[in-house]
Amino acid sequence: MRAPFLIVGAALLLATAGDARPSPGVTPPPAIEASVTGCGSGWAHPHAGTQVLALRNDGATAADVRLVDPRTGAVYAEAEGLGPGVTRRMRLALGGGSYAFRCQDDAGGAPVTGPVTRISGPAGGSPGIVPVTTNDLYAPAQSYTKYVMAGLDRLNDRTDALRAAVRDGDLDAARAAWTPAHLAYERLGAAYGTFGDFDGAIDGTTAGLPGGVHDPDFTGFHRLEYGLWHGESASSLRAVADRLDHDTHALRADFPDQRMDPADLPLRAHEILENTLQFQLTGRADEGSGTTLLTAAANIEGTREVLGVLRPVLKPRYAALPQVDMWLDRLDALLKGRSSVTALSTAEREHLNGTAGQLLELLSSVATIAEPRRLS
Amino acid sequence: MSPRTPAGSGTPDEPRTPGAPGTPGTSRTPGAPGTSRTPHASRDSGTSRTPGGDRRAFLRGALAAGVTGSLVGATAGASASTPAPSASPPSPFHGVHQAGILDKPRPRSIVASFDVLASGRGELTEFFRALTDRARALTGGTPPPDTGISAPLADSGVLGPNMPAGGLMVTVGVGASLFDDRYGLASRKPAGLKPMRMFPNDDLDPAWCHGDVSVQLSADDDDTVVHALRDIARHTRGAAQLRWRITGFTSPPRPSGTPRNLLGFKDGIANPDATNAAEMARLVWANPATEPAWTAGGSYLVIRLIRMLVEFWDRVGITEQEQMIGRSRDTGAPLDGMHELDEPKYAADPIGKVIPLTSHIRLSNPRTSQTDDMRILRRAVNYDRGVDDVGDLDMGLLFICYQQDLKRQFEAVQTRLIDEPLVDYITPFGGGYFFALPGVRDSRDHLGRALLA
Repeated sequence: MRAPFLIVGAALLLATAGDARPSPGVTPPPAIEASVTGCGSGWAHPHAGTQVLALRNDGATAADVRLVDPRTGAVYAEAEGLGPGVTRRMRLALGGGSYAFRCQDDAGGAPVTGPVTRISGPAGGSPGIVPVTTNDLYAPAQSYTKYVMAGLDRLNDRTDALRAAVRDGDLDAARAAWTPAHLAYERLGAAYGTFGDFDGAIDGTTAGLPGGVHDPDFTGFHRLEYGLWHGESASSLRAVADRLDHDTHALRADFPDQRMDPADLPLRAHEILENTLQFQLTGRADEGSGTTLLTAAANIEGTREVLGVLRPVLKPRYAALPQVDMWLDRLDALLKGRSSVTALSTAEREHLNGTAGQLLELLSSVATIAEPRRLS
Repeated sequence: MSPRTPAGSGTPDEPRTPGAPGTPGTSRTPGAPGTSRTPHASRDSGTSRTPGGDRRAFLRGALAAGVTGSLVGATAGASASTPAPSASPPSPFHGVHQAGILDKPRPRSIVASFDVLASGRGELTEFFRALTDRARALTGGTPPPDTGISAPLADSGVLGPNMPAGGLMVTVGVGASLFDDRYGLASRKPAGLKPMRMFPNDDLDPAWCHGDVSVQLSADDDDTVVHALRDIARHTRGAAQLRWRITGFTSPPRPSGTPRNLLGFKDGIANPDATNAAEMARLVWANPATEPAWTAGGSYLVIRLIRMLVEFWDRVGITEQEQMIGRSRDTGAPLDGMHELDEPKYAADPIGKVIPLTSHIRLSNPRTSQTDDMRILRRAVNYDRGVDDVGDLDMGLLFICYQQDLKRQFEAVQTRLIDEPLVDYITPFGGGYFFALPGVRDSRDHLGRALLA
């Protein structure tokens, strides 16, 4: 709980310290070397406070360069893929402490750490965070894969039941079976290509389909939803239900081969709910069942799973993690007992939107903090 | 006069429109007498923010990064700015009154209304702190530092790396609904604040009315106001949601003098003199005798979103148009005068042979001693936003005015205007009554501090 405060507080102390204000029209700072040869040389006047540093790669290949705490390896700033001959500016608030540049070229060699620079002044400034490696994400990705596998089994049980109800011609039973089956899918946290083409076939909307709800390529849960809640006959929906059940089984069969890239996991932390905001809280995805808020709650379960497996990685790095939990709880509380956005009052909807939006602002840091970085 | 260019107004990369209109009458000193403003960048001590205080428990995180930036950036921002000649620099951010009240609107504006979502007084205070921090940074042109790997960047980049102030003014008001039972503020409500009433010629859409907090943004360019709205909405996301918002603009003088509205007439000619402190104390600023102490330096704000049926209007003969308004369309002069600033001589025309008794200018301001204290400070801007169901253009006026007393001033004027001939050509569809908060005194102060104390 304290860390974000220290960040704010220290930054303010810097402002208080009021480093000499350069006169207008001051010339840009001389560039600091960002290639492995001479990494970090040329840092002209290291000082505390907000400042702009220029980094230039004088090497022959692209370089990644980071400003780090040489003791802990915490990263204060980074420029990835800095091309040969390219200069990049970064605006930094530096507190008192030790700093070094760490440069790495794309030849695969070990990173080179430049000279250690000591800056006096109050502590704090732009937050330094110890980078995460692909190795750190391996166990979280495995846990998440297990969660998805178990969820896929549950999904298939439910699509089997849904298909059976449609085949029996029992549309009441089919409508009753549709929602739990759909939520089983939505809990998996499919977002932005997690399941490749399967996602479009299983859970796509009419977006991009010229024929709308009657487009032959409109398949999956929402096509079935449209039929079940718009008076289509059981016989006409049979093929839709068969196809859906087939696709979910195919996804299950395919999934072990789709080795999850651990680098995707931190992105899921906000991407799942970005989709929720865009398609569920707007009601866009509703094809008649009026269940987009149940979907939203299922999406939160998926997000909580992502955060759960990443928690060991995030806890020492992300000081606002308790705030994430608080806003998740708030969002869950607002969704409790709710099914359709159209049943909400304006005030209720505003609270829901604001809470989701605030949560997303906080979750977006998970992706930048836990993005795997090459350290050797 | 005012040589005090606020930090960041006019930076090297800030495109300056040749002959930037600013506002007519630019020799006016915005907020000169009795405002005692101090350019804020010179004393951003920020010492009120103690590291140990639990102030950002609610909005901090991604938000705190932005807030941090705004304060740390204070000095850096100044370095990026070069004082540039400006037709009329906006009032500095810190002062007894908010900027944007005595100042005429700049060429581009956004008028927005937010509903507050904060739960409890503490979160409400945090909302106003965050709003103040962002307004201070945006109007000062102080970009936040990079976030390193801790978060996506705090700024959208829409204004480039130096985030120039671009003449931005931010003016914040509170609506009557903020004083309901949510925050325990009922006893602090400004004496005359209430929900905007519906007048007989109105056709109000609830979705475009009222709101807990009004935010007006005005600057030299569209990107500046859009950037500011994005920034403010992002950094207060969990505490407030936009209820409605509309973009406006102020035309350059055509060919000279007061800018025209979309009926083609000069609008706002006969405003009270904003440089006259005594007149402002009498007509604009909250009355210390009748208002709670915290309101000192604030003003009642009326926003009326008024659609103009411009196709219908354009089909009306010029004589009829001018009789409805009471002024010449070409010159803006009253129908009994030659120049726009000529005083209409109503006493010499008691039955309205030259300037009809039902004309807009004669009804709204009869210029008698009895109606003198009913005058309002108008700050209207035009809006233009699309097409209606019958293919006509949706455009009109964001009527905005400031006054000391809603009933004595705006409502009295509006009541006189009921069923004026002009009503057939305009449709008020939204807006609200707000109380524009007292100014932010210094870097330790925040909007609403006295209200929430």
